[in-house]
Amino acid sequence: MNYIKEQIKDGVSLHLIINENFKTDFTVIFLSIPLKKDTVTKNALIPAILKDGCRKYINYQSISEELEMLYGALFDCGLDKTGDNLVLKFYIESINDKYLPEKNNNLEKVIDLLFEIVFNPLIEENKFNEKYLKLEKKNLELLINSIKDEKDLYAYEKCINIMYKDSGYGISKYGKIGDLEKITSENLYEQYKKIISSSKIDIIVSGNYEKESIEQKIKENKLIKSLNPRNDILNKNNYKTEIKEIIQNPEIKKEEMDIAQGKLVIGLDILPNNLGDFRFIAIVYNSIFGNGVNSKLFQIVREKESLAYTTKSEYIVQKNNIFIRCGIECEKYEKTVELIEKLLEDMEKGDFTEEDIRKSKEYILSGIDSINEEQDSQILFKFGQELSKLPLSLEEYKENIKKVTKNQVIEFAKKIQINTIYFLKSGGKNADN
Amino acid sequence: MQIIENKLIKEKIYIEKLKSGFTIMCIPKTNTRKKYAICAVGYGSNDNKFIKSDEDKETIIPDGVAHFLEHKLFEQENGTNSLDTLSALGVEANAYTTNDHTAYLFECTNNFEEALAELLKYVQNPYFTNENVEKEKGIITQEINMYNDEPDWKVYINCMKALYKINPIRIDVAGSVESIKKITKDILYECYNNFYVPENMILTLVGDFNPEQTIEKIKTKITIKSKLKAQVIEEQEEFKINKKEISEKMDISTSIFSIAYKVNPIEKEKVKRSLAIEILLEILFGESSKCYKELYERGLIYENLSTSFEWGRNYAHVLIQGKSENIKEVEKLLKQTIKDSEKQGIEEKNFERAKRKLYGMYVREFNNVDQEAIMFTSNYFKKVNPFEYIENYKIISKEYLEKVQKEVFKEENYVISCIKPKESDE
Repeated sequence: MNYIKEQIKDGVSLHLIINENFKTDFTVIFLSIPLKKDTVTKNALIPAILKDGCRKYINYQSISEELEMLYGALFDCGLDKTGDNLVLKFYIESINDKYLPEKNNNLEKVIDLLFEIVFNPLIEENKFNEKYLKLEKKNLELLINSIKDEKDLYAYEKCINIMYKDSGYGISKYGKIGDLEKITSENLYEQYKKIISSSKIDIIVSGNYEKESIEQKIKENKLIKSLNPRNDILNKNNYKTEIKEIIQNPEIKKEEMDIAQGKLVIGLDILPNNLGDFRFIAIVYNSIFGNGVNSKLFQIVREKESLAYTTKSEYIVQKNNIFIRCGIECEKYEKTVELIEKLLEDMEKGDFTEEDIRKSKEYILSGIDSINEEQDSQILFKFGQELSKLPLSLEEYKENIKKVTKNQVIEFAKKIQINTIYFLKSGGKNADN
Repeated sequence: MQIIENKLIKEKIYIEKLKSGFTIMCIPKTNTRKKYAICAVGYGSNDNKFIKSDEDKETIIPDGVAHFLEHKLFEQENGTNSLDTLSALGVEANAYTTNDHTAYLFECTNNFEEALAELLKYVQNPYFTNENVEKEKGIITQEINMYNDEPDWKVYINCMKALYKINPIRIDVAGSVESIKKITKDILYECYNNFYVPENMILTLVGDFNPEQTIEKIKTKITIKSKLKAQVIEEQEEFKINKKEISEKMDISTSIFSIAYKVNPIEKEKVKRSLAIEILLEILFGESSKCYKELYERGLIYENLSTSFEWGRNYAHVLIQGKSENIKEVEKLLKQTIKDSEKQGIEEKNFERAKRKLYGMYVREFNNVDQEAIMFTSNYFKKVNPFEYIENYKIISKEYLEKVQKEVFKEENYVISCIKPKESDE
């Protein structure tokens, strides 16, 4: 694998990842901006309306026709919340020419198409198409309403929302239905222009291609040339900036829905400590405690006590949090929470063996080794590095994991506090939205 | 050793059938550090009625045994659990059950040999006790409940219930909370002994391998006793739908639907026909179709409309699934689209685009080690060589499509399953 990063302009970067491992090429555009309450709903509409048509391909149907002619290239777009920032993402996955029945210049055509969709939208009289805006508003409304259809995700979002309220990380990336009314095709176009001129832009091409020709093609593209240089306006979220305060009692919130299985989410804070760059300790801690089949959550909550089918914990590096998520029988709530509290205490007491650490590290290291084995995980890793401003090679990453000691994990465990317990349980009433 | 190759997508499969009947399939890949191994058994949730090779009477078992076995096989006599052992080697291990097979797998970048030895050991050495079987019921109950809360799954299984009266495709792979209560250690051993036999098993390997050497080495580790596989009793069901419509209410925000046409499950030209049906579905309802444009722009569907053709032992059906606030109107438009297409025939340019799209989809199936291993394994049990799809792509004609179109979309074979929000008064 060969990776080259180039600064096209201030705030606009091109990342070329060249490898021969895959039959597909990925072309990706990420537009990153701070996550704000007053713009989030508008931002959520932008990828949706861009996919409905651009100047060259005036509706979704003609974009789809072009994608199909490129041997079923797959387009997708969406939103990601990364710390207190929002990423608008657009990508096309296409078949590499080497595996086509004939030469088609698939990648070159895909790059052009993606640039057209993102940077040359369908604008009439300084505004987006009214008909499509109406449609996308309706779609977004349905999407926001449907969050509660996926109970596990709904419970997770709810817990985050309780912990961070309505600011930064607590904001739902899809925004609020109440905002939709005020959004017009004019002010949405204004917001689009603002994003294009101020967001951090990352263009990533991954696949098996000639570096020079693709690089030149992108740099000389008119739409890329017309982009202005921009300053970095993103929020900084990392293990140093996210300071958590000690709280006396965790917040407990229970809601009811008509469901068979209860969803328990516990939000943990990582308190200030003197462990330095503790990210790697946190990864090992999380792995022993709740990630993977050898973890305490899986072995004890699921296997030993049969309390859950799904049970895991996830470390959110940008926010100094760990979230525990379990699907449990509703009557077993008290028992499960007590057990999890005990398992957290066990971690503090050092109730785990060197063998547990070794197993966890093995599991983490093999995860790191497989990052380069998939195009999308490779792209996301590179992009994550780009956003975190704490660049790290995979080798360094592995070395740092190997260095973590049992004592460090115990010290780290003492700095974990329960912030919030959220439980979605069965009951006749609907949860309030 | 049999070697099958496809030059266009640059892939080769090595297949060796051992004397015992056990099959090893190896797909070598370069430029990857990942290795993927699946040990699979031709025993799935549909196999719940059979005659053992040494008896003449019928055995009927509770629903969910194949899946229960999948959960329990990891447990070893010395008290260890192979899932933990594999995970401690840094490999990602898992298992899954389908309606016609059960698969035990792992993927790794390191420690392949140790992991493979562990995989083959636990699949060939069951250890069930009354105690460990009872304990598993709690976990599987939670798994069943989790699926019961998932509207997408519910709408699908209800659709199967509408299509089929007898075929076990209509029941949950995991069984029900009630049926698994009846599962005992003895039933698990009985099914294991009668289905986990060499002639019914395959090991699929995908990754950076030297196929000849790898297969040679593995042969010695296959020690499972030869025995004749039990004969599954398949009740042939009439080619007729069971119920026109099944509708249910759940705590969701927008209605979802699964529309299906029951298709005659014929063996002849199965790959060619299934490819033709998928091309047809693209032409009729794909994202560039007139029908999709209308559904989308009128706000009749939301998110997307997914179409697929599913087939297996004694079943075949076309599925059209989506989310809508006005399902009646969607149904009307879909049916009208089919009618128009039958009358007007298929346009050349639409045919070409759909073919290209399908070609891309099939190439993707060969793009990563995980997907490939799973795809080769499931095709093996369907008795299909996956390269056939790429090969048949060239020979399908418009006339053939038009013929298939007439066979597939028959009003009398149409069913619909919906899940509607609690508040809706429909």
